[in-house]
Amino acid sequence: MLRASAVCEAVGIPTSSLVTEGFVRQAKATAVGLGLPHVGLAMIPGHPAVQDEATFRRHLLETTLPQVVANLTAALADGEADAEPGARDVVCSGGFEEINRVFVEREWSDGLPVVPPTRARVEAFLREVHRDPDEVLGTLLPDNRAATVWSVAVNGVMAGCRPETMPVLVALVEAMADPAYGVEHSGNTPGGETLIVLNGPIVKDLGFNFTQGVMRDGFQPNTTVGRFWRLALRNLAGFLPHKTDKATFGNTWRVVVAENEDALATIGWPPHCVDLGFAAGEDVVGIARYTGGGMASSMAGSTPEALLPYLADGLVRHTFWQITFSVGLGYGKLRPLVLMTPIIAETIARAGWSKDDVKRFLFEHARMPAWQFERLLRDWTRKPIWNLAEEARAGRIPAELYAASDDPQRLVPIVWAPEHIHLVVTGDPLRTSGYVFGQNGQLGFPVGRRIRRPAHRTPPAAAAAVKED
Amino acid sequence: MNDAPIDHHDALWPRAVRQVRGRRLAPRLATLEGRTVAQLWDYLFRGDEAFAILEEALRARFPGVRFVGWREIGNTHGSDEREMIAALPARLKAMGVDAAISAMAA
Repeated sequence: MLRASAVCEAVGIPTSSLVTEGFVRQAKATAVGLGLPHVGLAMIPGHPAVQDEATFRRHLLETTLPQVVANLTAALADGEADAEPGARDVVCSGGFEEINRVFVEREWSDGLPVVPPTRARVEAFLREVHRDPDEVLGTLLPDNRAATVWSVAVNGVMAGCRPETMPVLVALVEAMADPAYGVEHSGNTPGGETLIVLNGPIVKDLGFNFTQGVMRDGFQPNTTVGRFWRLALRNLAGFLPHKTDKATFGNTWRVVVAENEDALATIGWPPHCVDLGFAAGEDVVGIARYTGGGMASSMAGSTPEALLPYLADGLVRHTFWQITFSVGLGYGKLRPLVLMTPIIAETIARAGWSKDDVKRFLFEHARMPAWQFERLLRDWTRKPIWNLAEEARAGRIPAELYAASDDPQRLVPIVWAPEHIHLVVTGDPLRTSGYVFGQNGQLGFPVGRRIRRPAHRTPPAAAAAVKED
Repeated sequence: MNDAPIDHHDALWPRAVRQVRGRRLAPRLATLEGRTVAQLWDYLFRGDEAFAILEEALRARFPGVRFVGWREIGNTHGSDEREMIAALPARLKAMGVDAAISAMAA
């Protein structure tokens, strides 16, 4: 784990980092971003997860051990990353096809054609935010790059965004830089992909789709802003497949999901942004990484008790190895997401249920037998050190939830509290479905940022909401 | 007069500027004999077993080497990763650590 090695090297403690064979390229690329291109790596051939004990031992003793000793005792060369262009440098001139050829070749493009980022186009984006183009929004790992308003505009142009979406793009990169989100984990093994959830008057003002087909490409703002996100991960943070991005399979980027606040207004439920700490009526982007998901299709029932079991069941089905973010790699850090259509929300609300009531029901019903939880936690992740009773005794997890008895059939929750389940109302207003996302815990934790629109774009309602807090 | 659009673009560099290009590595040790080595683990990929095997082999080669085990250090990749890593140098210094082996993956 090179971030740990880097802080040790900085204070004069030499390190050797054990790297499985499949991660060597990632380790070398990550080391460059940390400013330590020649940091000591000791390779383990193959992958330990599929090696018998004798093979694992032989690999460690014959290959890894000599490298560990050399890393710690033999001189290593210092070095630095190759020089790069300046932020405002023109790096390619020519026709559309030539620009795109070069951008693909230099790994600046996602493979789809990009809009050539010319100064005139970038300046059109900058006019949509009253901020210094050189303002640093955050320094992003793995490359340790300083994302500026300018660099956001360049990538917004490339993604095909309209200039008026620039405040959304800036807020997204501010959220990306939030330490709680953990952008540095965006290239990890499960390959979870970020979902952007949009709230506020800006949804309608900029024409985001918030109804039927809300996760489908084909709606320009939803699609292009979603594409921007991955270009920003590539060019502002430095995530490149086969290098710093080690997603085993990966997902493509997701289009922006906008919440249906008209539906929420009719039933009195707060929007998603309130769960992220903002006021209803504010323009807010929310982000979190999700590992996958699936439909609860065509649910049927006229009461909450009839409808919500579909979603509770879906939450359990889409949470398997991710359970390690509730107990293990993370503690109480899992935040699964449920989408439900307006007609489902309205049917539940008609029975007098609040959004909190829904979360309470899901928390109490999205449970699995303790033996299954422990199998996922311990046996299937080859971690010999974890079981629920020991974790409870050590005070690391709530005993009343996870160790109320020693019955292996007892039901334990997938998250620690009702509010850990997030809920967004969107999609086809008159279809009776839900959608459940598994989540990536603290390696893409939900965070939000307020969108600051320039005065000439801010409608009175949004301006009032911002002024009040 | 030719009304065809001019297909010429001066494209700007799309990356953000790196903040770090090169840092110095720590001086290496002359030997591990008599030194204290910390085991830093992110709780992935059988690191616990790897440390046990490597520790045994290093003790055989350097009888005076000492170890601060991964259990004492804690998970370097848990919920509190940022805080944990930020505090790590001071903790290791306080433990008298001379070198560290960090596992697994990248």
